[in-house]
Amino acid sequence: MTGLARRPSFGTATAALLVAVPLAIAVLGPLLADAVTPPDGAPYTVGDGHPLGTDRLGRDVLGLLLRGGPSALGVACCAVALGYLAGAPLGLAAASTRHRWLDELLMRPVEILLPIPSLLVISVVGVGWRGHPEAIALAVGALNVPAVARLVRAAALDAASGPVAEAMRMQGESRARVLFGYVGRAVLPVAAADAGTRVGMAVFTVAAANFLGLGLEPTSPDWGVTIAGSREALLVQPWAVGAPAALLVMFTVGLNLLSDRLLRSRR
Amino acid sequence: MRGESTRRGFLGLAGGAAGAVLLGSCAKGGETKRPRKGGTVRAVFPGAGAKETLDPHAQRQFVDIARHKAVFDKLVELNGTLHPVPRLATRWETNAEATVWRFELRDAAFHDGHRLDADDVLYSLARILDPDAADHKAKSSLSIIDLRRSRAISGGRGVELVLKRPNAELPSLLAMTGTAVVRRGYRDPSRPVGTGPFQFRSFTAGRTFIARRFDDHWAGPPHVDELRILSAETEARGNAVQAGEVEYAHEMSPTFARVVRGNSKVRIVATPGSGAEGFALKTDRPPFDDPDAAMAMKLLADREKLVNTVLGGKGELGNDIFGRGFEYYPENVPQRGRDVEEARRLLRKSGALNKEITFYTATIADTFVDSAHMFAEQAAEAGLRIKVTTGPPESYFTDMLKTGTIGSHRSGAMPIPTYLSERFLSDSPQNATAWHRPDFDEQFVKAQSETDEKKRTELYRDVQLHLRDTGGLVLWGHPDWLNAVSTKLHGVKPAPPNTLEWARFDTVWLG
Amino acid sequence: MARHALRRVSLAVVQLAALAILIFLLTALLPGDAAEVAFNEQASLEQVAQLRTQLGLDRPLADRFADWAGALLSGDLGTSLIGGEPVGGIVARSLATTALLACVTAVLLVPLSLVLGLVMGLREGGRLDRALSAVMLALNSVPDFVLALVAVAVFALRLGWFPSTWLDAGAADLLTRPGLLVLPVAVLLARTVCLLARQFRAGTIAALHADYVVQARRLGVPRGRLVLRHVLPNAAVPGVQELARTGDQLLGGVLIVEAVFAIPGSATALVDAVQGRDVPVVQALTLLLAAVALAFNVAADLVSHRLAPRTEVLR
Repeated sequence: MTGLARRPSFGTATAALLVAVPLAIAVLGPLLADAVTPPDGAPYTVGDGHPLGTDRLGRDVLGLLLRGGPSALGVACCAVALGYLAGAPLGLAAASTRHRWLDELLMRPVEILLPIPSLLVISVVGVGWRGHPEAIALAVGALNVPAVARLVRAAALDAASGPVAEAMRMQGESRARVLFGYVGRAVLPVAAADAGTRVGMAVFTVAAANFLGLGLEPTSPDWGVTIAGSREALLVQPWAVGAPAALLVMFTVGLNLLSDRLLRSRR
Repeated sequence: MRGESTRRGFLGLAGGAAGAVLLGSCAKGGETKRPRKGGTVRAVFPGAGAKETLDPHAQRQFVDIARHKAVFDKLVELNGTLHPVPRLATRWETNAEATVWRFELRDAAFHDGHRLDADDVLYSLARILDPDAADHKAKSSLSIIDLRRSRAISGGRGVELVLKRPNAELPSLLAMTGTAVVRRGYRDPSRPVGTGPFQFRSFTAGRTFIARRFDDHWAGPPHVDELRILSAETEARGNAVQAGEVEYAHEMSPTFARVVRGNSKVRIVATPGSGAEGFALKTDRPPFDDPDAAMAMKLLADREKLVNTVLGGKGELGNDIFGRGFEYYPENVPQRGRDVEEARRLLRKSGALNKEITFYTATIADTFVDSAHMFAEQAAEAGLRIKVTTGPPESYFTDMLKTGTIGSHRSGAMPIPTYLSERFLSDSPQNATAWHRPDFDEQFVKAQSETDEKKRTELYRDVQLHLRDTGGLVLWGHPDWLNAVSTKLHGVKPAPPNTLEWARFDTVWLG
Repeated sequence: MARHALRRVSLAVVQLAALAILIFLLTALLPGDAAEVAFNEQASLEQVAQLRTQLGLDRPLADRFADWAGALLSGDLGTSLIGGEPVGGIVARSLATTALLACVTAVLLVPLSLVLGLVMGLREGGRLDRALSAVMLALNSVPDFVLALVAVAVFALRLGWFPSTWLDAGAADLLTRPGLLVLPVAVLLARTVCLLARQFRAGTIAALHADYVVQARRLGVPRGRLVLRHVLPNAAVPGVQELARTGDQLLGGVLIVEAVFAIPGSATALVDAVQGRDVPVVQALTLLLAAVALAFNVAADLVSHRLAPRTEVLR
């Protein structure tokens, strides 16, 4: 066990906190935003009643942060949820079938999608359906399906070929009991850890699309959009880039830490 | 030539006397230091990828225009007030009806040694007007020229152009983009031979263009040896000019101007109010088929706030008239202010208050989406609901002719008559406000064919006020044109885009 | 092994064919067409219609697909709808730059992350491991584009150590100006090294705890030999399996890096082509990039199959 893991409460608490802060801002921020946001000021001022300064349009950066969470995290979370919704049943079904042809039938079409580079699809979808977060979510979700299906299938096969499943089978437990009672539960932590890193990556993909001008409208309060829109003023008003970037980084660091821990505790 | 023109009643409209100011020593006179010879100037413009072209008659972006300007010359150019001035044509005159025009040609050499004559000019015009070329920009505006009746005169040292209908603005039309004079027989766009100050070397679309000094240029050779015109996005342009990787960066933002304030390596050359930003109201459908509703929009726009935020304060207030500071801009028209109460009254009167209006915009420029959202907020103060929808920017200007009730509108610098004729006549190709008014068309044509300059100015004034008071154009601001220039580069002058001094690299030098 | 390889490769061929159809459909779904886009700001509807006919864009979808697929099979990628240049040339030019960037990155990436992963894994829980783990976790969580922005602002604009863009430079200038590569490659490496090194570390730890290694250690196999012969091959497995995902991330990074540093590569060309609705170029580029990614996948599969053959017991 690692040094950090010897104090699991501390490490896990830090990780949870890192995830919780951006998450709380995303969930509660929109409710608070109207009360906290001062009227618009001059473009890219620092101070002057704006704790984090203003952006290109003179909008309060704090106010933007409070309103930009749902899209910044939500699109990514929805995308991964979609990916799991479609990918996990596929993977489980493929792993559990006794028929090789069914396994092939389920997995091969999925694997066709696997090699498509994700930003490639995003750049086509992003340009074609600009300003539609649901299109981006759908695309990122679809891109996640093959990897999720593969992972779930592999994890399920892994568990099913392990000694515990073997023992259960020897004792004459039914297939269904082995599958859902043991294999399913064994897959869960792997899937959770994977989902964690996947959300982190999806957040980046979505933010990168927004950065390249392929995602949401440039006036959206989304964190990625705010970073992209204010990047010219990095040296004049660093908060407009720094604050949303910090939230994104916190969220992904926290998620990565948590999923690391999840995997490690399983070992 | 003189005798003949008097006999046929030709009127000299412009000539050497007024026009010669712009070249040679005068142009460089403002600088204290003597120009130094040699070196390479690298200028970077917003790129257009594979769409960039060497064909000087094809559809183009600023980066193309700058490249063509290095290699080719036009008969006529526009000065800072968008008034035509001589280039390859040294002087011109017209008959009293403005239907026959004569241009006297300069003795200029092409890069291959060939001397310019009337056949080159006629070939160029024929090439521009080629019916099979879908992408020739000046085709529609120059289609008034009747090529079959036009001919060489004075043994090839001049051309006589005959028009299908009167037009007193022909010199301006010949100064528009896409009107370069090419060598006769020019077919392969990738091997351009012109009379311009630089000789073509190499070109990669979306990337680079390299040209060498042409020593036999009629206005004298350029100071620098080599010119490179590059393409890049906003951010790369800003970084490159700050890092000294280029000497000239075209089209920079107000934010960038703030970033380099106090920077010893970069200065901003600003041309005040050299474009137009606005909203186009579709006047062929409710609610803006009622001029009252359109007027309400003009009163609702908080122009000061739009200019201060969307343009970052780098611009002037618009007065719903295009072309501030240009020839024919009507003087002494009071600035239109904001009046929410009056706007609400007009909206209520026209019954537009309770319906949602669609504002169709795109991410063509930050200004588009930013101003659309800001205007929606401003209109909400009068109780008007405006829904902003964003379309694909790549085909926005085509789409917006069909879509939405309000659209984003912008224009670069161009002569006022050109602007009006391309956008506000019943058959205009880019009639963004769907302005189909036969009486307006008539009024415009009358002004356009008037050869007396004073009378013409009066007539254009009426045309513009007519549009300002009843039309569908909300023109809220005139952005400053901001270019970033290395402090090593001298001789760069502020000039509205598409005018003679703009993107001009034969008169600059490296210090 | 040979049978497995053959099956994998023939599957890849089928995948590629399916991808071609998918890509064609995706590009067909793009709103607007090249004719509309070509005339954007100075459009007249008649001009658009004229160009559309000239480019053959008004023909039925099935006809266009048949033409494209037919030409593709005979090795012809078609001509660009904008400018009329053969697509092959455009693709080759832009891919060369990207390939160069990717190769330099890959050459540094694999050894660097393998060494880091091995060092961390062998000192599991030690101070070095903890410090490196923390740094990598943090670095891996900074988006590429933020890294790129900061790198340019600090190392190019503030300190002036490296060029900030590739303007007025291309792949050919790299020999005389190697500094051009530093910032783009550094940005590309930053996150991928973290991702891979962590996998190699996990692999090393797993290998160290494996029965046969424990056994070998008990038998007194020298440490150096133990690491090289027994730990390293197994330590590489998770990393190799991760290569596909790394490749994907690398490509995403390339898109950002090309945009920030104005590098004339395939990502720039692709975004350009999509914006210009230059369908033949979009199709050729996506197909080729997907083929590269596919090759990556196949290679990763084969290598990990070779390193650690799996048996699927459930059946």
